[in-house]
Amino acid sequence: MTVAPYRVHKLIQDLMRDPAAAAAFAQDPEGAFHAFGLAEPEKALLRDGSPSALHALGVHPNLQMKYARLRAKLPAPGASGGGPLAAYLDRLTET
Amino acid sequence: MGQIVGGFATSHVLFPPAGVEEQAERVLQGMLDLRSRVAALEPDVVVLAGSDHLNNFSLAMQVTLAVGVADTFTTLGDGGAPSVTFQGHRAFAEGFVRHANRHDFDLVQLEEVRPDHGMAIPRLVIDPANRVPVVPLYINSNMPVPPSPGRCYRLGGVVKAYVEAERPAGERVVVVGTGGLSHWLCLPEQGKVATEFDEDFIGRMIEGRSEELAALSAEHIEAASGNGGLELTAWLFMAGAVPKARGEKLYYEPVPEWISGMGGVSLLPA
Repeated sequence: MTVAPYRVHKLIQDLMRDPAAAAAFAQDPEGAFHAFGLAEPEKALLRDGSPSALHALGVHPNLQMKYARLRAKLPAPGASGGGPLAAYLDRLTET
Repeated sequence: MGQIVGGFATSHVLFPPAGVEEQAERVLQGMLDLRSRVAALEPDVVVLAGSDHLNNFSLAMQVTLAVGVADTFTTLGDGGAPSVTFQGHRAFAEGFVRHANRHDFDLVQLEEVRPDHGMAIPRLVIDPANRVPVVPLYINSNMPVPPSPGRCYRLGGVVKAYVEAERPAGERVVVVGTGGLSHWLCLPEQGKVATEFDEDFIGRMIEGRSEELAALSAEHIEAASGNGGLELTAWLFMAGAVPKARGEKLYYEPVPEWISGMGGVSLLPA
């Protein structure tokens, strides 16, 4: 299986840890691509962003999910809970 | 001497029930059954083994085996689990690291870690009131060189020896392995569930045959059960802490809609 160059993984890892950088990426992904020194074929696959494109680039599976969150401009994990657990949370938190 | 009074394992996710309502309810009931069984054992400490999903560790720093030694941990808040602070057990955790060091395991100590859903959801299942201190044990299953299933199983034996040799008389310890079963995450096979593999794995484990599973290679487990299936090394750590133990299947549901085989077991020490 293809494994993406580390610069691709570093871009995703750094963005997920830096809300300001993630916000900047949302406005100007090309700037981030340039800053991390990505090659044009890598940029093209990240612009595509589809599961097949990310798989072709060899992005780590967990980082594919985080990249999708970055592109969707979803908030970082927070304190509210719910989401996938919403239907169960009352029984899971019952003491 | 202390005592390992029980071993458990469970999947560490839940997804919305839409379309799979009956299966979702059976999974939840299985998890709540696990909760009741852990509570009945009245543990003084829980060792919770599982993986990090590139939230604390990443390809920048690839940590193979690590123990949370802090007094408290605040969960990340991903996967739908509320961000909460729960109590660790510094004396137990640091003592375990030192004991392991004398028995061929050099474990990384973690003062700062935000347990993600892989730990947070099982902890919520086990102890929603945060009554029992939890020692998180991280087993890498997501980055290129994971520890072998056999090594994880042997590390379970090390925690058993530690509890029996160094912990206070009467201390009751429960070990819980989290993750699995088969799933292929962000791969072309995503949505496939290896039901036969999952049921065989559970079957052998509850028949007291976990040593056979520990003899499998990581490559074999990954090929048979997907990149997510490698989380089963945490189950094998648990099984190593209760060697030869037999037990019960608490639940198993193949749920392609959740891209995962969902399961849990209970083992009582032989």
